[in-house]
This record gives sequence, C-alpha cells and structure tokens, in this order.
Amino acid sequence: MNETLQPQQNQTEQPLTLHTLSSIRSLLINPSTPKRTVSSLLQTLTQSPRPTHHTLNLLSDLATHHSSFSQPALDSLIHSTDSPTRLAVDSLASISELSFPELDDERFVSLCFGPSIPGRIWMLRNAGCTFRVRPALLFTVLLGSTKDPYPYVRAASLEGLVGLSGHGEFCDVSMVKGCYLRALELFDDMDDCVRLSAVRVVASWGLLLSASNADMKAYWCNEVFAKLCSMARDMSVKVRVEAFSGLAKMEMVSKDFLLQSLSKRVLGNGKQRETMDQITSEQFAMLATSVAGALMHGLEDEFFEVRKSACQSLHRLTILSVEFAREALDLLMDMLNDDSVVVRLQALETMHHMALNGWLKLQEKHLHMFLGALVDNCREVRCAVRKILKVVRLGDLAMFKSSIDRLLKNLDSYLQDEADVFSAFSHLGRNHKKFVGYIVKETFEEVEAAFEGNDGFKSARIAALLIISISAPLFNEYLGIIPPVLFSYAVTLLGRIYLAFSDIMDKDTLLAYLCEKSRPSSDSVSDINHEDVEQQLSLIEGDTPNCDSNGVIDSKIGSQIMKEQKEVTCYQVEQHQSEYSEVTVYVNFILAKFPDMWQMIETGLTNEVLRSLRCLKEELTSLNIDSSESRDALAFTLLYLRIIKLLVEVWEHLLPAKGSCSHGLAELEFKLGKLDKRIKELMSKLVGFSAEEELNILELILVTYALRLWKVETICVNLTFKRLTSIYSCVESMLKERPVLPSNFVVELGKLLHKCQTASVNGASCSTLQFDKCLKLFSLKKFVFRGTIRQLKAELSISNNDSLHPFPFVSGLPVSVPCEITLHNIISKCKLWLKMSFDDGLVQYVFLDLDHLEGYGDVRSFAFVAPFYRTPKANSFRLKVCISLECLFESVCPVQRYGGPKYELVPLCKEKQVYFSNVNKD
Amino acid sequence: MAIETLVLGAGQEVGKSCVVVNINGKRIMFDCGMHMGYNDHRQFPDFSLISPSGDFNDALSCIIITHFHLDHVGALAYFTEVCGYGGPVYMTYPTKALSPLMLEDYRKVMVDRRGEEELFTSDHIAECMKKVIAVDLKQTVQVDEDLEIRAYYAGHVIGAAMFYVKVGDAEMVYTGDYNMTPDRHLGAAQIDRLRLDLLITESTYATTIRDSKYAREREFLKAIHKCVSSGGKVLIPTFALGRAQDQNSGKTIGTAREMNGLYYLDGIQFGNTSFFGSNSTNSELCILLEDYWERMNLKVPIYFSAGLTIQANMYYKMLIGWTSQKIKDTYSTHNAFDFKNVHKFERSMLDAPGPCVLFATPGMISGGFSLEVFKHWAPSENNLVTLPGYCLAGTVGHKLTSGKSTNIDIDPDTQIDVRCQIHQLAFSPHTDSKGIMDLVKFLSPKHVILVHGEKPKMDSLRERIHSELEIPCYNPANNETKCSSVDTPNSTLIDRNLTPELKVEDERVADGVLVMESNKKAKIVHRDEVLIMLDKKKQEV
Ligand SMILES: [Zn+2]
Repeated sequence: MNETLQPQQNQTEQPLTLHTLSSIRSLLINPSTPKRTVSSLLQTLTQSPRPTHHTLNLLSDLATHHSSFSQPALDSLIHSTDSPTRLAVDSLASISELSFPELDDERFVSLCFGPSIPGRIWMLRNAGCTFRVRPALLFTVLLGSTKDPYPYVRAASLEGLVGLSGHGEFCDVSMVKGCYLRALELFDDMDDCVRLSAVRVVASWGLLLSASNADMKAYWCNEVFAKLCSMARDMSVKVRVEAFSGLAKMEMVSKDFLLQSLSKRVLGNGKQRETMDQITSEQFAMLATSVAGALMHGLEDEFFEVRKSACQSLHRLTILSVEFAREALDLLMDMLNDDSVVVRLQALETMHHMALNGWLKLQEKHLHMFLGALVDNCREVRCAVRKILKVVRLGDLAMFKSSIDRLLKNLDSYLQDEADVFSAFSHLGRNHKKFVGYIVKETFEEVEAAFEGNDGFKSARIAALLIISISAPLFNEYLGIIPPVLFSYAVTLLGRIYLAFSDIMDKDTLLAYLCEKSRPSSDSVSDINHEDVEQQLSLIEGDTPNCDSNGVIDSKIGSQIMKEQKEVTCYQVEQHQSEYSEVTVYVNFILAKFPDMWQMIETGLTNEVLRSLRCLKEELTSLNIDSSESRDALAFTLLYLRIIKLLVEVWEHLLPAKGSCSHGLAELEFKLGKLDKRIKELMSKLVGFSAEEELNILELILVTYALRLWKVETICVNLTFKRLTSIYSCVESMLKERPVLPSNFVVELGKLLHKCQTASVNGASCSTLQFDKCLKLFSLKKFVFRGTIRQLKAELSISNNDSLHPFPFVSGLPVSVPCEITLHNIISKCKLWLKMSFDDGLVQYVFLDLDHLEGYGDVRSFAFVAPFYRTPKANSFRLKVCISLECLFESVCPVQRYGGPKYELVPLCKEKQVYFSNVNKD
Repeated sequence: MAIETLVLGAGQEVGKSCVVVNINGKRIMFDCGMHMGYNDHRQFPDFSLISPSGDFNDALSCIIITHFHLDHVGALAYFTEVCGYGGPVYMTYPTKALSPLMLEDYRKVMVDRRGEEELFTSDHIAECMKKVIAVDLKQTVQVDEDLEIRAYYAGHVIGAAMFYVKVGDAEMVYTGDYNMTPDRHLGAAQIDRLRLDLLITESTYATTIRDSKYAREREFLKAIHKCVSSGGKVLIPTFALGRAQDQNSGKTIGTAREMNGLYYLDGIQFGNTSFFGSNSTNSELCILLEDYWERMNLKVPIYFSAGLTIQANMYYKMLIGWTSQKIKDTYSTHNAFDFKNVHKFERSMLDAPGPCVLFATPGMISGGFSLEVFKHWAPSENNLVTLPGYCLAGTVGHKLTSGKSTNIDIDPDTQIDVRCQIHQLAFSPHTDSKGIMDLVKFLSPKHVILVHGEKPKMDSLRERIHSELEIPCYNPANNETKCSSVDTPNSTLIDRNLTPELKVEDERVADGVLVMESNKKAKIVHRDEVLIMLDKKKQEV
C-alpha cells in the first residue's frame, strides 16, 4: 500500500484512483506527516490531469491541516474556478471554508449561470453571505434566476432575495416592486418549495415596499396582507405555515381586511365598509375573496404547525385593531380545545400578550373554555392560564367569582400548583380591589369559621381567600374595608403564603405589612356593616387600568416598613400613583421572564427567545408613561432588555453550529463592543441598585470580557485581561462584605484567574478553553425592580441656532457656546463633561463642576457658557455638543487624554449640532 | 382536441354518481353509483349511452371508483356481472375492502327483509371485486401505454380519493366527494398543483359557507360536561355499524329503514351516515370526548353498547394511514381508536346511580337499545340526549327535534314524559362552497364541470367560478355530453399587469430526469438535482 503513496508513481496520465485518494487523505489529516511528503502530495494533486471533486477536497484538507502549504493549495483551488463548471463551484465551496473568496463580477455571474445545476444552487445560496458582491449585481442575478427552469434553483434565488431584503438599502422603489411582483407570480408555481420561498419574498419585500412610500404604506400593507392570506389555502403545509409567519410581520392592516380574514363569507357593503376611504374601499372589493376566512382556515387546519403559526400571527395582528382583537379572541378561545398542547400554549401566549396590551376583553361566554384550561392535564397550560389571570382585568363580579372558583378547583385537582395558584390569587386581589370588597363579607365569615373551628383545619382554600383579601389594599388603602382580623389570620399562615408576594416584597416586609394592618384603627369596625361597605365601595373607582384616582395611599405604613427595613426598600412609599405600581408590576413581570429565556437558549431556542425579546421591546416602547418614576422603571427595563438581547445574540456564536464561522467573527466583535457599551451605560446612567443587583451587573461585565478573551481578542488581550481582573477584584471585595454566595461562574473564573496569577502570566497565555469552561456555568439571575432605580439624564438645548442662523466667530479666537442644561437625578459625585466634537475628529472636553453650578435637588436647571478654543480657518463650521458622564467604576484606565476625562464616557443626552459662521467671510 | 364528458348520473342531482370521460381517445368511467330514491330503472345509470351495442369492454378503458358510498359504488356489481363489463376497475385499498360489505349489506336489506327482486347476488359481488385493482395514494398507475392515473386524499370518508388522469398532453381530475376542512379523525383533501384541462368536482354544498366547526364542538362539550358534572347521564344515539347488526337480528329492520333513508339523503342534509359514514360520526364524537376527558382529567365513564367498539377498532387500525395527521402522528404511541376511557355497557347499569356517557344504536332512537335507554333516562331533567343533525320522520329522534311536546308516544301503551335536555349536532363530510372555490382556484384548470348537487345552487356556483376565477364552468344534466376544448390558453389567476420583464432562457432542460418522490409524485428535475434531493432526505432521516 505504501508504494502507491510514492508521488512519483502517480505522475502518470491516469486520474488518481479512489484508493490512492483515500490514502493521500489519511496522510494529509495526520499532522505529523513530514513536510516533504506534504509538498509532494500537493504537487501530485495540483498536477493531476483531471481535477475531480475529490482532489479539491484533498486540497482544502491540505490547506487546513498544513498551514505552511495553505497558500499554494488555495491558489490551485482558485485556478479551478476559471471556467464556470460544477468543479469551479466545488472549489469555491472549498475556498469559502478557508477564507473569503474574491470573485470579480464577471466570474461571479458566469458561475451563477453555469451549466451545473447544483453549482447554480450553491452559488445562489451562498452569494449573499460568502462573497463580497455588490448588492445591485446580486439583486439582478437573483431576480434573473427566479426564471430558472429548475425548481430548486428558483427556490434558492428566492431565498437569496429574502436574505438580501434584510441587508441593502433599496432606494429605487420600482426595483423593490419588481422583485415583489415577481415573487407574486411564483405563488402559482407548480413546486411547493418555490411557492414556500415566494411567500417569504412577498412577506419581506412587501414590507420594504410598504416602507418605501409613507403615503402608500396603508395600501401596500393591505395588499401584502391579502396576498399572504391567499396562500393560507395552499395545499402544502409548509407554505401555509410560512404564510402565517408572514402575516405575523405585518405593520399595519386596515381593520376591514383584518375582520374579513376571520370570516369565510365576504363581508358586504354594510357597516364594515363605512370607515374606509375610496381607495381602500376599492382595494377591499378587489381583494376580499382572497382574504376571506384565511385566519379561520389557519386555526382549523389539520396540521398543528399551521394552527400554531396562525395563533402566533394573531399575536401581532391583534395589536393592529381593537375590534379585530375582540373578534379574534372568540376564535382563540376555541383553540384551548385543541388536541395539541403546542397549539393550546401558543393560543394562551397570544392571549397573554393581548392582556398586557389591555386588549384581552374576557366575556362570560369565554369562561367555560378559558377557566376550563385551569384544570388541563398539562402543567404548562395551567400555568399559562394563571399567567393571564395575573394581568387581566375582569369585567364584572361574576367573572371574578368564577375565576376564584376555578382557581380553587385547580388547587384541588393539582396540589403541586399551590405556589403559583397563590401568586395568581395575590395578583387577582391587587388588580380587583373593588370586587374583593364585594366578596369580603362572605370571605370573612368563611375564614372566621375555619379559624374559630379550632380544628386546625386551615385548607388551601382558606389560605387562598386570605391572600386575595390582604392583596387588595396593597397599593390602594381604602377606608378599612378588609377587617383587620383577616390580616392577623394571614400572619399565622405567613410561611405558606409569603411566596405569593415575592414579586414585590420579601417575607419580613410582608410580615410588617400584615402587622400594621391588623392593628384596628379608630375608624374601622370589627363587624362589617354591609351597607357601609356598599357605600364605601361606591367611592372607589372601578377596577380599570391606568385610573389615577384610586384611593389614597397609606404612606404611614410605607414609612413604617421603611424604618424596619433599612437595607431593602421593598415596599415603596413613593408609590403615589397606581400607574406606577402598574408599571412596577409589569416591569417585574418582564424581568422575571429573562431567566426562563436563558434556559431556553441553553436548549437551543435562540430564535424563539429573540423573537419574544423583540416583542417585549415593542411593547415596552409603545407604553405611554407620564410619571418620572415610571419613566425610570421603563428606561431601566428597556436598557436591561437590550443587554439581554445582545447577550443572547452573542451567545448564539458560542453554540457549536456557529462557533467557527470566520465571517461571523467581525459581527461577534461588533456585538461584544455594543454589549460592553450597554452594560457600562446601565452601570453609569442608572443609580440606586442594591449590592446584589450591582454584583449581577458586574458579573455581566465579567462575562463580556471573558467572551472577548475567549473568542475574538487578538490585539488588546492584555488590556482586556487587566480589565477583567480589575472587575473581578471589585466583585470579590463586594462579596466579602455580604453574606451572598458567588455564582458558579464567578467561582470558576476566580480559580482561573488565580491560576494565571500564580503562574505569573497574563491573559495571552491563559488558555482560551478555560474561559469556555467558566462561561458554560453562567446563568442569568432574576432581577426584581424595587423602585429605587433612577435614571441619570441630561437635557441640553442651545437657543437661536440652526444652520440658517449660525453663531458668529472669528477664526483663531475662542467662541462661546451658550448652553441651557437640565440635569435629572445627578448627584454631586458624578463627573459630567461637555463633549464638543469637531467634524475632523477633534474633540474638546469642558468639565461641568456641579459644586459651582446653580440649582440642587433631583432636577437642576441652569445656563452654562462653554468656550470652544480651536476655531478653524473656514467660512463656517459645525460642532456636535453632548453632555457625558464619566464611568468611574472601572479602575483600569485605557484613555490617556490630556486634561480631559480619565475614564470612558457615557452620553446622557442626544448630540446637539451647533452652527458657526465666520464674521470675516472672504 | 377536446375532452368529452358524458354525465350518466349525479348531473344536477345527488345520487348514482357516474361520469364517462373521453380524453384523448381513452374512455374512463368515474364512479358507478346507484340512486337510493328509486326502485325502477332510474336506480342505475343508463349504461346503454356508453355503447348501444352493449360491448362495454371495447367502449371503456377502465372504471375508477372514488369511495365506498353506495351512490358511488352501488351499481358496480350490476355493471360488471350483469351488463358484462370485464375491464379493470381501480379504487383505493380501503374502498376495495369496504365496498363489498356495503354492497352485500344493501343486497340483504333489499332482498331478505323487503322481498324485493334481486339485482345482483352475493356471488356477483365476489366476482366483481376480483376485477378491482387497488391503488395507493399518490401512486402513479399506468393503466395502459398512454393512460396514467393517480389517487389523491379526499377526506370525506375513509379511503375516499380524488383521481388524476393523464392521457398524452391532456390532464384532468375527478374529485368524487371530498372535504376541504379536516375533522378530528379524517384529514382535509390534499392534491398537488397540476396543469389541468378539466376538473370535475362535486358541488353538494354549492352555496353554503360553513362556520367554524369549533363553535359546534365547544357547545357539544359544554353541554356534556355540564350534564355529567351535575351527576346526569348522557345518551348519544349513533348509527348502526352495518354487519354488526347481524348478531342482533331484532334490531336490524329499524336500522335498515334508517339506512335506506339516509343513503337517499346522502349529502343533502347531513352527509353520509350509514356504515362507515355513520361510524365516521361515531369516531368523530368519540375522539372528541376522549380528548376532552383526557385533557380535563374527567373520570366519568364513557360506554359503548355491545358491538360498537370492536369494528371501529378493527377497521381503523387497518386503515390508519387514511386518517388525519393527528391520529397518524400519535399512532405509534397511542392508537386514537383505543378509546382509553371507553368501557362496554351492561344492561344492568341502566339504572345505576352516578353520571356516565353512553353511545348506543340506533341513531334516531327508532327502536332497539337506544330506545330502551331513552325510556329510562328521558324522564329526568338531569340527563341529556344528543341527536344527529337530521332525523327521519316517524322516529323518536324526529319528534324530539321538531316538537316542543314533552310527552312522546312510543306505542299505544307507552308514553314517555320527556324532561331531559336535548342537544343537536351535525358534522358534514362534504366541502362547502368556499372549499370548492379554494380547490378550483388552487388547481386553476381550463374548464370546470360541476356534478353531485342541486341545480339552482349549482347554477349559482357555476356563475361564481366563471366570474370570479374566469374559468368556463358547466353543470350538465344527466345523459348530456359536454365538450371542453383543450386548445385554449391556460386561464391563470396572475394579474395581467404582471408581465415578466426578465427572461432567462435555458436550453439545458434536456438534462432533466424523471424521479419519483416519496409521495410517488413524478417530477422532472435535472439529473444533478437528484443528488440534492437524496441528500435532503438523508438529512431529514
Ligand atoms: Zn360520499
């Protein structure tokens, strides 16, 4: 066998035999093969008379395993791409695994239209991500290939177009429209795979098309909606699933179109149409038949994948119209009867989102189905229903009572659900104080009887009734409707019920609250007079969300608790507005989701997580909030969410599938940079974190650095390593002061750093593998918003200046920049800088000395005149001015500026442009 | 060139489906049904129109039967054995298994019980079935050199298929009865996009648009749940299971009467409710209840009266591939027809205390066991009786659904004071007009012919297909012939303004290879593409 390996013997005109090739391969992948042998193998392969697929593979093996020969091997591969053959594409594929292949336009096009079908398909599939091809050229080639006679080529080109829609900016509307219309034509393709991809193109390019012209947006959105709906009756399951995924991306759709999608009958000229303008009305008449019943068909589909996708699309579509949301809810409710758990869960998830938006209007007719799901044999389904009950607003007392009954039944049938059922009771009580008032008399009697019975019988039912009673006055104290003795009873069950309140306070705080409330106040009566209650209840505003006039807050209790709880300010005195408590609850609800999401990521569900993160973000940004406290809460949550999202995206690169993608590296580095910036922003721009929370954030920074060291860092290894150790020692010292156990990740990282230090090495020699080991241990902790967090913010305005009204200046002399500044929540230890950047990159910093400026308190407003020294020799110039905060928490100092800030800066406001014009113009 | 369609039955009516199509020189008979409403010559199609000389072997290339309902297969044994057709007959495996049972059942009822003249014998049926060639779904069958046929899933009843036929460059589809919306045990019709010259479709519900079945299911479950949770008993009278009745000869007459009436009414009121048609409804209800019981953790027992379970299980296990996606998916772990919560009912349990649900025959409470149970349970307002959407006049079921009267006379000596709750529900195995439109739109054939429907409704659907889809459409009466020319350009649904601006020609189409996909659909791909397809499958495995 060894004889065949002698290269000399292969110098014949015969192509290499498979046997020979396999022997060559085993030599090549063996790293200890001598260089001389490798060199002669390379010669054999490159001089082989007829290169084949196999020789190409061997060449790329050679390039990978023997770096010293990779260049000649690559050259030889590139040589094979000269003519547009299948082989050329194969060699390109091999090259692309090693580096970015460089292709000129001509070569690219000729390969894309080459005679080899798999070659064409490979080119079209990889054109977008592997080659640096001009978008315009790529677009033309892809669009041209949608006419290919072979279905897989057509599908590949359509997929390429889908990819392209996410990248380039297409200014030419007719180009976008052309692509969209071409995909529409392919809705009639004979092949399932082509129709599938065509649906994806119509969805993605349809969005581009609708975004291209603000005036026509509504028109095009309706159009895209109708076309996607028309595919809901395709015979291919995959096409149908994709059609609904497309619908889930719609940004706006006219109400009448939406409603039509729920009805198989074409809606007539009746009341539905009166809201439409002329154009929409004509459009509706044209498209109504394709829209008719599309969503209903989707929900009725034989395949659960389609039903799930349809439920999912409702999530988005119900946001677009309240009336549609109401009608869609009737259908969604029926999905709780679905035989597939996946579909039931998706339906509930969609309802949950509707509830968060306040559009879940439960009606009596829904209750049998909806509350019935509380005894579903699937744990996740029961949990999802309770999740909705925690946030929904029930419309009347009967529904409130039924909900209580069914929750109790839930508890009866599934004892293991107790903790979450109790938590649901607690939320139900908080959200429906008025209804609690209505049932307090019977509740009181039942609880009293149970306690006086002295038989020690304190069932789950009694605990639940107590929870709902004591939750009601939590944020809205009102005139002692809840008898104080109920609070004393609750104290005896503290150990069992405190978890139901863990989202807003800990056990001790709850105890303090219960003790305070159980003290009979002068005006409360021990016996409840029913008429009085009625009267008092009439004073309370209805249980409607965002109602500001909800009773008076008992700040006495709040301050009491504050005194007892110095460290953890759980129970917020500042909650003067119910909106704030709403926001807190909501924000905590969102924050509680992240750890679960993290678990999902570890099971590989990254895309799902990213999708839900995007939804949450949309929801958050769409909230309309007035009070400054709420704004702080939202600012914090939004920033935190962005961080989590970036972290998730970065984490995806660590998963084995994506790990070694060379072109992903730049993206990873970019994202890591962004992540780093965001976390620092969180650390600097927001204050009021508890020590634990600060630890959590520092841990995130550690993760970022570790990731960087493991994956991308080649240039600044030492610096990054230094930063890592500095943050670590910070974490270490904080941990020493506190009875908190460090996380596994921190422990493991500590060991690693210790090893490096004892070996007196720096990060460069720290094995990257070990970082990998640490990172695997990382998990996301739950963050609870307790209302102490404040956002540092600055407003900067410069009056009477714009490009038409510039300030005068004399070149070479300093010029003044008159600023009006408002600062929010800035404390004196903050270091603020006015950053003024000039177009050529020159930056000048002016320190804002807070001790010497006017105003004090949470909000300070003052005028400040900043000098700018280096006025240029020009007719006019422009400055970008911004107020920035110095990040003081990191002690490693990479920035060496003369006279400027020592540490990194975080902007506190938007950049302002200031225009100047030379008084001595030529 | 043209395709010639001779409608021998189900032209502007429901009953004795039979269409003979002449396509590129081949003559094919689709379905060979009998009309249950007549006892004279109108019972069978007028076969003499096929061949005045009576030489059917030369006149026809083959017969294709879509499903086992008698209005589609009833005249087959007569045509082959009495009229003497000896050529091939194609149908799916389940249809082949069930058709002889249907034919035999019918023969028995007519001859043994009613003493009518026998049109064909048991031996005829057996001989006839020997001529049948069974086909699989999506299997392309070469009938002869030029004629190929392929079956597609049609829903409707187990084994029902639509048939695609290709002769040379002419292609067509005959749907038989089909359903475009799935239910819990049967899937929706499924077909590829094809280039058709002609589509012949049923149009039973040519103008009806059906609402979501979910509302009906919900109300049904709610009523039953409410009844059993307050301790009541539920009686679900169901239709007989064909031959299972032989063992209890006393009840068969009632069943037979039902059966006859129901065949006659096939499709018009509530669909097919005999044998597997009825069993279909049984299974549907039972799967619905079983799912619900499972999900809600209900412990209330569900009973089948004697004989009901065994057959359902046997056939559906055998024919599992013909059921809905859900049942196929779960089959390996759990057979949906092994009703876990279902037990056999003993007569002694009739007056036992406590809630229960009971399926009992016959379906319209016309006698037999369901009547016996009814007598016991009807007087209590706690109990519930569910009824099919349609009940034949004269049955107790009919009295319950039509009148408000609380006293029902069973016979001169017996009067029942009915206080129980009544719940009516109907499942239809036929597509509604929206489904027909959707199918026609998806297939976009050059011509459409409507059969199996009522004339006025068919007229209105014909107009819609013509105006909305711009496809010429006809609904010929019985014994009429319709020619559809095949040379007209294909009518497409693409907007006229979508003229392609780019053109890429490829002369290498000749490299194409014919392959069979797993679903047995042939398609042309490039030879290199075959590798990709294979590769793709490998990844899926
Ligand atoms: Zn039928």
